[in-house]
Amino acid sequence: MFGSVLAGCGGEEDASPGGATSGTVTFVYYGDANAQKAYDKLFTTFRKKYPNITLKAQGIAADSWAGFANTVATRLAGGQSLDVVQIATEGQRIFASKRLLEPLDPYIQKDRAAVDAYYADTPPNLRKWLKEYASPDGKTYFMPGGYNTMAMYLNTDLFARAGLEVPQAWTWEEFRTAGKAIKAKTGAFLGVAASGYFTDVMPWLTNNDTSALSADWKTAQYDSPAAVEALTFARSLVVDGLAPKPGGNLEAATLMAKGKLATFGGGRWPTNDLRRVRFVDKVRLVRWPKNAGVGSPVGWDAWPILKQSKNKDAAWTLIKYLISEEFGDAITTGGGGAVPARISDATGADFLKDAPQNTELLVELLKDATPIPGPDRGAECQKVIEEAWLQGISGTKQPQAALTEANAKLQDLLR
Amino acid sequence: MTLATGAVVSDRRDSGRARRPAGTGRAETLAGWLFLSPSLLLFTLFILGPFVAGLAMSLFSYDLLTPPRFAGLDNFGRLIHDGLLLHSLRNTFVFALASVVTHLAGGLLLAIAVNRGINKVLSYFVRTAVFFPFLISWAAVALLWKYVLDPTFGIFGYYLRLVSIDPPDWFTDPAWALPSIIGIDFWHTIGYTFLIMLAGLQTVPSQMVEAARRDGANRFQTFFHITLPLMSPTMFFASVITFIGAFQIFDPIQIITRGGPDDATISAVMYLYQTTFQAFQVGYGSTIALAVFVVIMLVTLLQFWGSRKWVHNA
Repeated sequence: MFGSVLAGCGGEEDASPGGATSGTVTFVYYGDANAQKAYDKLFTTFRKKYPNITLKAQGIAADSWAGFANTVATRLAGGQSLDVVQIATEGQRIFASKRLLEPLDPYIQKDRAAVDAYYADTPPNLRKWLKEYASPDGKTYFMPGGYNTMAMYLNTDLFARAGLEVPQAWTWEEFRTAGKAIKAKTGAFLGVAASGYFTDVMPWLTNNDTSALSADWKTAQYDSPAAVEALTFARSLVVDGLAPKPGGNLEAATLMAKGKLATFGGGRWPTNDLRRVRFVDKVRLVRWPKNAGVGSPVGWDAWPILKQSKNKDAAWTLIKYLISEEFGDAITTGGGGAVPARISDATGADFLKDAPQNTELLVELLKDATPIPGPDRGAECQKVIEEAWLQGISGTKQPQAALTEANAKLQDLLR
Repeated sequence: MTLATGAVVSDRRDSGRARRPAGTGRAETLAGWLFLSPSLLLFTLFILGPFVAGLAMSLFSYDLLTPPRFAGLDNFGRLIHDGLLLHSLRNTFVFALASVVTHLAGGLLLAIAVNRGINKVLSYFVRTAVFFPFLISWAAVALLWKYVLDPTFGIFGYYLRLVSIDPPDWFTDPAWALPSIIGIDFWHTIGYTFLIMLAGLQTVPSQMVEAARRDGANRFQTFFHITLPLMSPTMFFASVITFIGAFQIFDPIQIITRGGPDDATISAVMYLYQTTFQAFQVGYGSTIALAVFVVIMLVTLLQFWGSRKWVHNA
């Protein structure tokens, strides 16, 4: 009755008489209606190239990667048969540790040349982190996909009107000083004070040389002096009137286009919003302001084959396509909200076209990046982290009190 | 005597049979079941089945990703000591009571206003305007109000500041978050209660109102002694469905506050959702669902019991 479908190990290989892989492959990915349209275009070549494989690509619209992972788990428990799933950092560990995934090592051996060519063109950090965090028994369960680091989108027009130079690097205090000048001369807000785990909490923490959890994700350190200092600074932006009060419904790109917002944080995805409001040209990507350290959170998606898949060979054929140059080029020109995994694509002209100046910074930031912690009870941890940050920036609780309370809850969830 | 009685009984049976052709009873029963079967099938599939499955699930520990493990009554034991569940139930009761009171009072007042001969065009406009928000999905309503009540850019705050009132932080201040949700729910759902009240008001016989007037009753006396008692079955119906609906509140909270700040808006159903689909504690989530079911049933029974004292059954 409870359908322990996830423990099942379908191993039936479905090959046509000619030896070409065939069967149905269900691929689930993170995306709303627009992403689904774009993805469907990306798979045209695959369908032409492998007519014996019926590819069912299904997008799931979720409010976060943690929410997406939960939806996938619910579908699996409900008996849906999935072959390949796009899983982000927040869900990789739990899927691997629950033994839901098929080791990819035999497939990698079989197609060594294609995989090596892919690895050679992708940031080595992604591979290293996947091994460190999502390989509980040393086996390879994921092929890395696109990623996001966090930069700051800056309105060059507002900076010019305030008589300020666009900074190459800046400190928290220089950031605040710039904000005061912008407020005084243009009336615009400096930035956004919000509580998204990846987008708002982690950038302040990583630029103060800390994180919500320890490097091995086993200990909560959300109440460290550095974290409290980061939250106190974020709160001060609201108190000083440099950031709008939290709790509303801000559309950052729209506000920036209207000249009401000088900066906001983001990875690759806000570029699509800026294109929508036709305000790409006057925007430049700069580093997040630093304090005790320089850093950025990083999250990436990756592709595993599920153990329950009845067409593992066909599933691997799909993954091989996802890591091919052909797909990389297609996803680069097809939009998308992440930096393409292939360095050649992420630094190529197609990716940088109609994008804010200095978009290549997103690749550069990988060097100092910290993976977004995604422990087993990641969704619950995320809720605790965001809730405490919101209490701090809205002034409902003092930063120290909010983070101390949250840290105790986090430690409980990590047991 | 005995014989005579038996004869009478026998006669009655015979006369009954005489009026009904042989075999009709069975055919009628069969037809009855046939007509009932679609509803019974749906009821079994979507209500009874999940209920029984939920009941069984509450005896297990299950995280969706690995096979379930029998846990006996552990989940029920945990229920008793769960402070957050009690807190969520308290929030839900506050929300439900506020909903019942504001919807009944607001719906009745609006219905009276529309029913009392304001001109026809205005009456239709008011009916449409009041009912219209109810047709909009909760997701759209929640986003709309997030814009309206945005502490910096919101139009509501803008008008308050024009009259020198500094607006509170509607969704981030624990003192204001639940009242804000109650207010939004009132705006969204009042149209439904209003329609029920209007229908009830129109069933009040005008002869009785006229008779009371001729006997010298003023408007208030007529309202409190004639209209209100005759409206009481409608009000009772509205209070029951409003309460049950309010107890299921989820969408606006999930979209606007996600249960925060500091769990100030977490409702019982939301806690159930978080436990089941975010914490992956499906067994315990089922136990919570059962607890919520029992609470709703008890309160509904209480409402029915209490209704004997105030509902006027003609």
